[in-house]
Amino acid sequence: MTVTVEQADQEFLDAACLALRAPREGGDPLDALGWWDLLGELADRDARMAALALFRAQGRELATSAALGALMAQPFLAATGHAPGSLVAAINHRSRRRGERLIVIGDVAGRSLLVDRPGQGAGVVDADRVGLRPLEVAGRLALHEVELDPSAWAPTVAESHASPARARGQFLGRLALAWEILGAAEGALALAVAHAATREQFGKPIGTFQAVRHLLAWAKTDCVALESVAVTAARLDEATPPRHDEVVKALAGRNGRRACERALQVLGAIGFTAEHSHHHFHSRVLALDALLGTSAELTHALGGWVRQTRADLAVDAAALLASPQ
Amino acid sequence: MSHLTGSGRRDVLRDDLSAYAASFEAWLASRPAELVAAARPLPVYAERVAVTSELMRALFDEGWARYGWPEQVGGLGGGILHRAAMWEALARHGVAAMALFEHLEILAPTLVAMGDAGFVAGTLPRFLRGEERWSQGFSEPEAGSDLASLRTRAVAADGGYLITGRKIWTSWARYATWCLVLARTGPPESRHRGLTAFAVDLRSPGVEVRAIEQANGTDELAEVTFDEVAVGPERIVGELGGGWGVAMHILAHERGTFAWFRHNFLYRQLLETVETGTPAADRLLGDALLDLAAVRASSHLGLHAHASGAALGPKAAFVKLLLGASEQSVNDWALASDPDLAVGPPDDEAAARRQDYLFSRIVTVYGGSQQMQLDTIAKQILRLP
Repeated sequence: MTVTVEQADQEFLDAACLALRAPREGGDPLDALGWWDLLGELADRDARMAALALFRAQGRELATSAALGALMAQPFLAATGHAPGSLVAAINHRSRRRGERLIVIGDVAGRSLLVDRPGQGAGVVDADRVGLRPLEVAGRLALHEVELDPSAWAPTVAESHASPARARGQFLGRLALAWEILGAAEGALALAVAHAATREQFGKPIGTFQAVRHLLAWAKTDCVALESVAVTAARLDEATPPRHDEVVKALAGRNGRRACERALQVLGAIGFTAEHSHHHFHSRVLALDALLGTSAELTHALGGWVRQTRADLAVDAAALLASPQ
Repeated sequence: MSHLTGSGRRDVLRDDLSAYAASFEAWLASRPAELVAAARPLPVYAERVAVTSELMRALFDEGWARYGWPEQVGGLGGGILHRAAMWEALARHGVAAMALFEHLEILAPTLVAMGDAGFVAGTLPRFLRGEERWSQGFSEPEAGSDLASLRTRAVAADGGYLITGRKIWTSWARYATWCLVLARTGPPESRHRGLTAFAVDLRSPGVEVRAIEQANGTDELAEVTFDEVAVGPERIVGELGGGWGVAMHILAHERGTFAWFRHNFLYRQLLETVETGTPAADRLLGDALLDLAAVRASSHLGLHAHASGAALGPKAAFVKLLLGASEQSVNDWALASDPDLAVGPPDDEAAARRQDYLFSRIVTVYGGSQQMQLDTIAKQILRLP
C-alpha cells in the first residue's frame, strides 16, 4: 500500500503476483507477463515501474527467476550485441571464507553469462559451458555459484565501456533488490497480521493487545517508508542524486530486516519452525541484503562519504515537486 | 514586488512551478538582509520570532510568500507545491527554521477552506506577512491524546459566544495574536460531536497567556486561560458542532504534508554541521540520511495527494512517524559527534544545537503522540481486531 497508489502500477503488481503464484503449465511466467519485452524500454517510466514491480511480486510469492541478472546485463547489450534477456549478469560477491565468487540467480540455461570484472572489463561466457553449483540458501531462492575456468574468460567489453554500464547495472540491480526485499517483508508482515487476528491468548486475539498492535504498526511503517523510497527512485531513475541506489538498498536491508524481526516476534515460536512460512520471507530478506552491498556496509560508507565531502544526497526538490506523472 | 512587472509575469509564476522556483532562487542568491538574519543560530526564542517575522514580511512584499494562497486572502494563486518549493529553497539557503510560521502550513489551509470568508480575508494577509501569528488551542490539562474529552466550553450569549476554559502546550501563544480554540458547544457527554472551532483574539479581555519554561531552555509553549471571552459568530471556523472535522483537517496537514516542510530544515541542520562528525558516528550519520530520504519520499507523495484535492487520511500517520524518527536520528548523530552539546561552553551555536537535541526527544509527543499514530495504523490500516 503506497502513500499514494497509482492504479496502473498496482494492477501490474497484482498480475505479476498471480502469474508467479500459478504459472501456466510449463510456461515461463515472465513470458506470460511480457516482462522480457520491458527490458528494452527501461527509459519509459511505466515500463520501468512494471519491470521493477516484478521483483516485489517475487518477494511476496517467494518466486525466483533470472530477472535480476537480465536487468543488470541490460546496459551492456549495446556493447555485446545480445538481445534483451539473452544475457544475464553474474553477481560479484566476496565471501569471507571463499574469496571472490560469482553468483547467478534463477534458471540461466540457454542464456549467456556476463562476467564483469571491475578494472579489467567484462566478458561473455555461455551458461551451458560453466559449472553451476547450487547453493543451499534459505528463502526459496535458486542461487548458483559459477565455476569458471580462468582461461574461459576474456574481456570483450573494454573497461572504458564497461565502467558506465556497470554503474547503471548496479543502479538497476540495487533498485530491483530493494523492491524484492519490500515484497518479502510485506509477505512476512501479512502472515503476522493474519496470525494476530486469529491466535488467542487470555481469551482474545493477540491483535487486541496494544504491545502486539504497535509491533505490527512499526513493521508496516518500515514497509511504507521503503516503498516510498523505492517507488520514488524508480520514477525518477537517472534524475536521482549520486549514490542514490546505495541509499535505497541500504534502507531496504535495514527496514526489511526490522519488519521481519517484528513479524517474528508477533508470530512467536510457531514462526521459528521450519513448517511455518515466515522463515522463507525472512531468510530471503537476509540473502538479498547480502547482495550488491549490505545495509550495514552501505550505511556506514554513505555516512563517511557525506562527512568527508559534504555531498548533498537529497533528491532534487524540483524533480519531486513536478507532477509524479 | 520588485520582480513583478505585470500580471502576465504573475500568471507565469502561478502556473509554472519551475519558473516560480527559478525566480525565487535568483532572489535568494542576492542574499537579502532578512535572509541572512534568519540564518544565524539564535538561542533566545523571541529573537528567532523577530527575525523570522521580518523574513516573512520581505517574502510577502516581494510576492514570494503570496503564491500558494488564493487571491481572496491576499495570495496570488497557485497551490501547496509553491509553498513546498519556497520553504525547501529557504532551508537550502540557510534559514534555520520556520519557527512559529510552521502554523502557516498547519492552520492556514484549514482557515482558508473552512473559515468565514470575510474574517479570513481580513486576517490571513497579516499572518502571511508575518505581522500577526496564530496558535492552536487543542490540548487541555485533562485532554491530551483523548482530545474529545476536552472541557473548555463556549456558551451562546448576545448573538455570539462566551468561551471559558484552559488550554495547555499551546505552541507560540505568547507570540500569537490569534488562537484557534476547540471548545465544547454541546453537552458534556457529547464527546467529539459537540465541539466547535473558534478563532479567538488573544488580546481580548479574559484571556491570560502564561509561558511554560521548557526543559530545553526555550519557552515557546504556553498555558492559556479563557474567562468568559466574548467572540462573534463570524469567528466560528467550520460549522457549529463541526469542530472535530476542523481538527481532523488541521491534523491531516500537521501529519501528512508538514513533514515536507520540517524535514528540509533537519537536512540543512545536518549538512551545515557535518564537518563536526567523527568516523565513529558515521553509521549514525548514514542512518539519519536514510531516515531523511524516507521522509522526503513519503512526504512529497503526501504533498501531491493534497495538491490533487485528496488527503492521506490515516496514511498520514506513517509520514508523521517517519518525521519524528528522522528528527531523532539526526540529533542522535549530532550528540554522538559533538559531546559539547551535553557539557560544552554556552556559545550561541552549541546552545541552539543543544536545544534542538533536547527538543527532538519530544517530537514523538506533539501533534498526536507516536503511540496514537501506531494505534491509527493498527486499527484503520492493518484492521487488527
